[in-house]
Amino acid sequence: MGGTTDMMLPVPLSHYLAVSAILLVMGIFGIFLNRKNVIIILMSIELILLAVNLNLVAFSAALGDLAGQVLTMFVLTVAAAEAAIGLAILVIYFRNRGSIEVEDVTLMKG
Amino acid sequence: MNWQLALPEIFLSCSAMAILMYGVFARPERSFVMSSMLAVGALLLTAMLVLSGTPGVGYNGLFTVDAYSHFAKLLILVAVGLGVVMSLDYAEHANMQRFEFPILMLLAAVGMMLMVSATSLMTLYLGLELMSLSIYVLAAFARDERRSAEAGLKYFVLGALASGLLLYGVSLVYGFSGSMSFAEIGRAMADPKTASPGLTVGIVFIVAGLAFKVSAVPFHMWTPDVYEGAPTPVTAFMGTAPKVAAIVLLVRLLSDPFGALLGQWQQLIVLVSIASMALGSLAAIGQRNIKRLMAYSSIGHMGYALIGLAAGTGAGVRGVLIYMLTYVFMNAGTFACIIAMRRQGRNVEGVSDLSGLGRTDPAMALAIAIFMFSMAGIPPFSGFWGKYFIFTAAVQQGMWLLAVIGVLTSVIGAFYYIRIIKVMYFDEPAPAFDPRPASLSFVVGASGLFTTFFFLFPAPVVAAAEAAAKVLFR
Amino acid sequence: MLFATAVFAPLLGSLVALLFGKQIGDRAAQAVTIICMILAAICGTSAFVSLVYGGGAPGVVTLATWVSSGDFSVTWALRYDTLSAVMVAMITFIATLIHIYSVGYMGHEPHGSVWRFFSYLSLFTFAMLMLVTADNLLQLFFGWEGVGLASYLLIGYWYHKPSACAAAIKAFVVNRIGDLGFALGIALIFVVFGSITFDAIFAGVSQHQNDSYSVLGGTFRAYEVIGVLLFIGAMGKSAQLGLHVWLPDAMEGPTPVSALIHAATMVTAGVFLMARMSPVLEYAPHAMAFVTFVGASTALFAATVGVVQNDIKRIIAYSTCSQLGYMFVAAGVGAYQASVFHLLTHAFFKALLFLGAGSVIHAMSDEQDIRKMGGIWKKIPLTYTMMWIGSLALAGVFPFAGFFSKDAVLEAAFASHGGFAQYGFWCGILAAFLTAFYSWRLLILTFHGAPRADKHTMDHVHESPLVMTVPLMLLAAGAVLTGFTFAPQLLGEHWQHFWGAAIHNGPNNHVMHDMHEVPGWVVALPAVVGLSGIALAYIIYMGMPALPAQLAERFGGVYRFLLNKWYFDELYDRIFVRPTMALARGLWQVGDATIIDGIPNGVASLTAQGAGRVVKVQTGSIAHYAFAMLIGVVVLVSLYLIIR
Repeated sequence: MGGTTDMMLPVPLSHYLAVSAILLVMGIFGIFLNRKNVIIILMSIELILLAVNLNLVAFSAALGDLAGQVLTMFVLTVAAAEAAIGLAILVIYFRNRGSIEVEDVTLMKG
Repeated sequence: MNWQLALPEIFLSCSAMAILMYGVFARPERSFVMSSMLAVGALLLTAMLVLSGTPGVGYNGLFTVDAYSHFAKLLILVAVGLGVVMSLDYAEHANMQRFEFPILMLLAAVGMMLMVSATSLMTLYLGLELMSLSIYVLAAFARDERRSAEAGLKYFVLGALASGLLLYGVSLVYGFSGSMSFAEIGRAMADPKTASPGLTVGIVFIVAGLAFKVSAVPFHMWTPDVYEGAPTPVTAFMGTAPKVAAIVLLVRLLSDPFGALLGQWQQLIVLVSIASMALGSLAAIGQRNIKRLMAYSSIGHMGYALIGLAAGTGAGVRGVLIYMLTYVFMNAGTFACIIAMRRQGRNVEGVSDLSGLGRTDPAMALAIAIFMFSMAGIPPFSGFWGKYFIFTAAVQQGMWLLAVIGVLTSVIGAFYYIRIIKVMYFDEPAPAFDPRPASLSFVVGASGLFTTFFFLFPAPVVAAAEAAAKVLFR
Repeated sequence: MLFATAVFAPLLGSLVALLFGKQIGDRAAQAVTIICMILAAICGTSAFVSLVYGGGAPGVVTLATWVSSGDFSVTWALRYDTLSAVMVAMITFIATLIHIYSVGYMGHEPHGSVWRFFSYLSLFTFAMLMLVTADNLLQLFFGWEGVGLASYLLIGYWYHKPSACAAAIKAFVVNRIGDLGFALGIALIFVVFGSITFDAIFAGVSQHQNDSYSVLGGTFRAYEVIGVLLFIGAMGKSAQLGLHVWLPDAMEGPTPVSALIHAATMVTAGVFLMARMSPVLEYAPHAMAFVTFVGASTALFAATVGVVQNDIKRIIAYSTCSQLGYMFVAAGVGAYQASVFHLLTHAFFKALLFLGAGSVIHAMSDEQDIRKMGGIWKKIPLTYTMMWIGSLALAGVFPFAGFFSKDAVLEAAFASHGGFAQYGFWCGILAAFLTAFYSWRLLILTFHGAPRADKHTMDHVHESPLVMTVPLMLLAAGAVLTGFTFAPQLLGEHWQHFWGAAIHNGPNNHVMHDMHEVPGWVVALPAVVGLSGIALAYIIYMGMPALPAQLAERFGGVYRFLLNKWYFDELYDRIFVRPTMALARGLWQVGDATIIDGIPNGVASLTAQGAGRVVKVQTGSIAHYAFAMLIGVVVLVSLYLIIR
């Protein structure tokens, strides 16, 4: 890619990093500021992974090294598996409790 | 490309899939026991493959086999094997005899083996996720139990957050060092002066993600809840093998690619270690659910193990490995006893349910007493040796404060371990437990013998740990 | 071989009793343990005689290779020299007598459980033997911890007594604090000498003289740090000021246990450690001054407390504490031989006093308060005589054993000149006066005057059976004889011949010689103050029985201060126990006072409280957990950036 990278990257790397950092923070905040619904937590997790992917692709392009993009592929795959498992657990949880309110998930504490 | 390096992992994954096929086509009432047996067999064969493997680096530097990974893999396989055996009886009573159970354990084992052999951020992440995803499912495996479902959900959400943090750290380290391979990263930061802040932040994020798996403070919050809610054999499993894998990986990561930054991460590990030891020993004092108590106890134990890492020397790593070895056996034995706590077919988990066990079941009481004394670090039990090597390593580095705090918290910790012994021997007997199945007796007996008689022939273990530590600190 | 038999016979007895006790019954278990102990005593004594008088050679009895890996290699071996031979002979002899005595003392216990007691007794003896015969520090540490473990089992033997359980746990925890120092000391020795076998350490002493070690912001000579750390370990086991709080409480165990813990074993471990490590300690003058200081303070402190206690066993317990202080004074001024000599004589007369007190308690239907005794000397004349002999020896009256050893300690302290040694001398003199005083207070209140017990108890007062009195008489013989038979050998002209290389005195340490050349008044003073203490006690308690109460009223503050043992327990409770508990409670809201003072029933009541409590941190909420993780990451990142 070498020579073409500069042409394809009119936006500097730091902008990508900033967007990704914002996405990450949004994802994290989504997990603990959300009082409603576990589904929203799953979405927040996806957001975090997207932030990571953006980071990886940006770095990969900037470094001219493919490893980052390969890892992005892996992350996408794993994220799919993770979402599947998360939803499955959520279904089990719903069958037991009849609710997916975040504030109900406090059976065990202390 | 030397693909045979990963032969044990390849074999184990293939076996897991083969057992999966078997389970699908076998008669449902037999499939669980048979697939568990097959799983144990597969683990044994894998262990032999690991033993016969030769050191080397393969897959373009993604994957490394050395004495260090050998030690960890064997320990992981033993721990997983004990976990499978322990679940045999429990599953029958808890109505979770589904053949997927041992297979998930095998897949988690593959993930862990990948973790300890990882020499690239990519393998690190994939191994970690394979392990985690399997354990999320295992934690929620008792589908009809409200607490199990909640444990699964909690572990999943927080675990996913931790992986997210870790992955973000991976991306930063990759970006600022220019490579995923440990060797390259190590070269890139040979001079600590020039390490960029982005790299620093990345390291902390990765450490946080791994500390979550190790359940070190402040990433420990999930531990008591998930330990309590998950089916007991799963708790036993979570408490042993993944901890080994995660801490072994953490040690390799920090001392190999980030070794040059020792002076920087050392303080963090010291802090985390002190916090874990203190919390583990204090919070356990008032617990009345024995699984919760063990959760806090394991947080404390991880604090001790981290002392060895903080020392940042070969002796420290040797201490960590020996500590984890003794810890696996103590923990497996204790949890086997907890699984055996069953009255009229129902499992009980209160510390008070152990009252007077010394009279109703002297053998089990003796075993628990041995494990408790060992966890409190009282010689000659194996737990003492783990602490001995750890503390010596810390003192050799002049880390007096850390060693002193470690011994102090272990004094406080001794309080609740000994309280359990007191409950067993000095309280009025509660009704006797149901007869113990042979599979649990086996685990208790094997771990008990190991814990008690480790002091007679520690030489081979110490030598192996020494050789393993030499890989990281020549 | 003799030596190894002496060490392992008690283990054999203990194991047989422990594993088969239920099947073979109490009688057989007692027989097995006692036979093993007698065997051990015979072997131990002959090993001692053959070494010291038969021209046997000291050496190391190697049993097996234990750990051998890289820089870390240890063998199982027994060290056979004068020091360990003396200790083994003394321990096996006294432990045998205590075993025999226990047959009578535990006679009232319900059948079918006494085997446990005998098994623990033998185990305890074995651990102590292991400790004194250790050839390396690790083995010594094993014995050290084994003693602690067995003492936990024995003190808590009457587990239905909440106070016994609490005392057992207290003893265990306080000892662990001492062990902390000891363990660190061992670690530092390993760092400095590269080995933990005694031979290697002692051989390397001259090389590492000037090694230094940085700790707590200062740089000190490594030997000084080692000395202080080892002494902290010794303080825990030997109940020195600060870590003494467990010893009086340990009286909750059965009386033979008190005798074993306070006379022959456990508490002497610390003194033994000082003597054993003498080659290193000789080059740590500041640490030794510290030892002297703490020892002297303990001697005086415990004696003052002993004066006002009312529990017969607690009085004797504080006297033990005080006598241990003497031993540390001797060790601190470099007269390890005098220290071991006092340990030896003290073992006899203190075992005698405890077993005598046990005989009194037995006679008085388990009454321990001396205010509720009195007027029983005619009914139990034998016990009475034995208590007299024990008290005479304790007070250091000629020609009883205590006279020789206590004099030797004080002479050594006087002869060695330094400021701390003089402090030790004067504290010792003062403590000697108080010791004599409270010994006679005990004797008079217990045996003389008008009976203060109820009639029912008085009617039952009876002399103990032979199985209890014979050990008493043998110990009394020891309390009379050990002084003048051993004094010339252990401390006389040929002391160097006797001790061989077992104890090392540095080239500048002439205290063993100087102590014989002190002025006449120094020799006479301990005896004089002892006799005046006796006289004062006699005048007050025989002549004017009303006076003590008036004094207590007049000097109420002092009296309460002493009665409450200088408020050490309260202090520790305030400083350590309560904040720890408060922290645990504040953070996790787990329990209430039941944990603090209700160790026995805390678990049950906690369970009853149910899971409804709100916890502060561990809320169970995913959001809070995730938040904690975020805070963790933020804190770590900022810390990391600051450290950089």
